[in-house]
Amino acid sequence: MTRGVAGVAAILVVVGTGTAFAQQPPVAPSARAQAPVDLTGDWVSVVTEDWRWRMVTPPKGDYASVPLNAEARKVADAWNPTRDAASGEACRAYGAAAIMRLPGRIRIAWEGDAVLRVDTEAGSQTRLFRFGAAAAEASSAPTWQGRSLAQWQPSGGRRGAPPSGGSLRVVTTEMRSGYLRKNGVPYSSSATVTEYYNRANEPNGDSWLVVTTVVEDPRYLTGRFVTSSHFKRLGAGGTWTPTPCETG
Amino acid sequence: MMRRLVTLLFTACMAVSVSAPASAQVDFSGEWGVRMYEDQPERVPGPELGDFLGIPINNAARLRAAAWDASLQTLREWQCRPHSADYIWRGPSPLTISKEVDPVSREIVAFHAEWLRSVDRPVYLDGRPHPSPNAPHTWAGFSTGRWEGDMLTVAVTHLKEGYLRRNGLPRSDKATVREHWIRNGDFLTVMTVVTDPVYLTEPFVRTTDYELTLNQQVPPYPCGVVQEVDRPKDQVPHFLPGDNPYMTEFATKHKLPVEATQGGAETMYPDFRSKVRAR
Repeated sequence: MTRGVAGVAAILVVVGTGTAFAQQPPVAPSARAQAPVDLTGDWVSVVTEDWRWRMVTPPKGDYASVPLNAEARKVADAWNPTRDAASGEACRAYGAAAIMRLPGRIRIAWEGDAVLRVDTEAGSQTRLFRFGAAAAEASSAPTWQGRSLAQWQPSGGRRGAPPSGGSLRVVTTEMRSGYLRKNGVPYSSSATVTEYYNRANEPNGDSWLVVTTVVEDPRYLTGRFVTSSHFKRLGAGGTWTPTPCETG
Repeated sequence: MMRRLVTLLFTACMAVSVSAPASAQVDFSGEWGVRMYEDQPERVPGPELGDFLGIPINNAARLRAAAWDASLQTLREWQCRPHSADYIWRGPSPLTISKEVDPVSREIVAFHAEWLRSVDRPVYLDGRPHPSPNAPHTWAGFSTGRWEGDMLTVAVTHLKEGYLRRNGLPRSDKATVREHWIRNGDFLTVMTVVTDPVYLTEPFVRTTDYELTLNQQVPPYPCGVVQEVDRPKDQVPHFLPGDNPYMTEFATKHKLPVEATQGGAETMYPDFRSKVRAR
């Protein structure tokens, strides 16, 4: 009899506790907790494409492959690296529209639970990818890296199976005008950069970060400028050599 | 009776869930316009001779490339040769991807990729094994795919000898290729990873972009063989080792160190810039 009463009491406690939990507002998991893919770590760009425009500074007027309009070509033809350096504009080629294309290592880490931080060796730049409420913070003056709103794109599940994996979409605006290439190929402060971050693993143990970048610029581009860059994952404790912005 | 019904339902559910190894997550079928905002001069007019920048080749590949004479392509045997499966992504051609659907399960069991100047290239998603290593090698190779989330990862084997770049850089028939097909909205990015024990010291990785283009149709490309150059029947255009006078033209024209233009794994990595600057 005593055991029966105790059992009923236990059930009531459980039910009661459940009711109490149900009354609390649900807490949404953080962007960090929701990450369908781990992008953190050190990565090195592997330059097997556009080598002549990335590993060295191409000569003035060499803007092959970029869908520039006439005004942009005029700007590119007037490129003056000495003037950029003297006027404090040395980081023009290191802005968000071009930074992932520059050779170097990048370091991706969480800054809190709602901001993914990307540091670059090239130009010692920092990008902040803000999720959710963090993205709603007050806007400030345009910067080289602009304002980046991030959103996970979980893979679709199938036949009741939970989603597995996913990617990251980042939209960047509010940038200072800069260069798509180090030789003065311009993008304007009206440009929007949309990026997709995907990760792929190989049987030999290599892990790759693939960044597809779409630059739209109503002022200087005749169409969407699409490139994709790939980075190989590095082990912990490797070389990290940040360099300042350089012109020319 | 009830027990039998439950067992039957359970078995049916299991059959449905287990028999879907190839369940498509993303539809890659459609017309894809190539976006050549990378390496356009190499991909459309064609690469310059002696430009091996950023490719992890070994000395054997350099020797083969130095022996290569562009006139080779006027030979009757070469005129209608299609690009191989690994190279064609990087070509200047629009792409059509169609899907093959099982009429009963309605699962996608294969994608077919076709470009201008290509052969049909099926990517099987039905779990079939790759054939024996002794099976014939073809321009398209043999491809199977599996889903990794929304990304389709493709394994390619059985390729005939091809090229890494259209300036004589060879890729052997022992090479294998892995591809990752990634769809981001209306953009398709394909990562190709070429592993070649004969001519590469590291995997050769590239990513190439396409954009969904609804008004596109890849036209047919009938190819006829003609006599382009009068030459003796047994003559094959080539350069003997050390005789190719064009191998440093590219370096001179673009003011680059010859060492860099000769390629090699080191040239792919950012730290190589210090060597370029030191010259």
